[in-house]
Amino acid sequence: METILPLYTSGFLDSNTNLWLALAIGIMFGFILERAGFGTAGHIAPVFYFKNIMVAQVMVSAIVTAATLLILGISFGYIDYNNVFVPTTYLWAYLVGGLIFGIGMVMSGWCPGTSLVGIATGKIDALFFALGLFVGMFIYFDFYQYIIDFANGANLGKFTIDKALNISLQGAYLVTVAVALGLLFFMIAMHKLAKNKGEK
Amino acid sequence: MKKPNYWPPIIGGIILGIALFISFVVAGQGMGASGAFARATAQAVYTVNPDFAQNAYASKYLKNGNALINWTVIEALGIFIGGLLSALIAKRIKPEITKSKDFSSFKRLFFAFLGGILVAVATRLARGCTSGQALDGAAAFSVGSWIFMLAAFGAGFLVAFLFAKQWKGVE
Repeated sequence: METILPLYTSGFLDSNTNLWLALAIGIMFGFILERAGFGTAGHIAPVFYFKNIMVAQVMVSAIVTAATLLILGISFGYIDYNNVFVPTTYLWAYLVGGLIFGIGMVMSGWCPGTSLVGIATGKIDALFFALGLFVGMFIYFDFYQYIIDFANGANLGKFTIDKALNISLQGAYLVTVAVALGLLFFMIAMHKLAKNKGEK
Repeated sequence: MKKPNYWPPIIGGIILGIALFISFVVAGQGMGASGAFARATAQAVYTVNPDFAQNAYASKYLKNGNALINWTVIEALGIFIGGLLSALIAKRIKPEITKSKDFSSFKRLFFAFLGGILVAVATRLARGCTSGQALDGAAAFSVGSWIFMLAAFGAGFLVAFLFAKQWKGVE
């Protein structure tokens, strides 16, 4: 069977149409994020104290849902996995980037996508976060020349779970679900612990 | 009129997952946000100083004309519009600063700004943020996305005590 999905990377959409669809897809994301409670730092920061784990629950169920649909599409031959964007893994840059990201997130209560929704709903802290993003980008652009080797080192390519464990894509899907649910159960357990501590 | 409430998290997650899948099958990529901020910064600096087109990092955004004519930039604009629409319908638009009652607004906004700087640098190192890297990548079986996500949550938990005052009573 000939795979026709993704529509754009398989050549069924011209780039102009794809840009218009980007707007529609973005509106859909923004609406969902606001509806799911991502429009306030009051729902994001408490995750780090296990007080309100709503956004972690949303993330885990979104990953599991998207991965399930993706693996079904791939298994039945509708989707060409090679044409789905998978970021290149730069091991150390990702690890250090993740650590800095976490500190910035608990400090600010925002991440880039949610801050857009926060600004839309009038959050002044989201606006200051976004201003910080612009300044931070500028700082990175200027300092990039000194860290090029680090930022681009340990390049593992499109390092996906199936390649790392030498298993099938379906196996990679099962690992994804297991890790996601593991994270969810950890969050629920810590949430219960934090709640009990709070009540005593 | 009754205010529509927030969706239950699992329902919200399933809907977000379906939206991600739609984005995957249409465009071949999912949700993204940090790339839009990076491109907007590059374009703004370039407008003031055209020499910036030679910058070691930003040149890749500027070499094909306007850095803002890009899928993620337009999609991020959509995120703003979609958030605005949802909040308008729910009557949730109100200028405010989310923080603990006794915490100073100045310090809260300073931490928001400083956090923004850190997050921006982090997204360039990690090639994405919670959306483009963590969510999209994890759903597409990327190992690096999980490394990024677990490192981010781990670091967040570890330093959370430093910011406890700012978030006290915020739930």
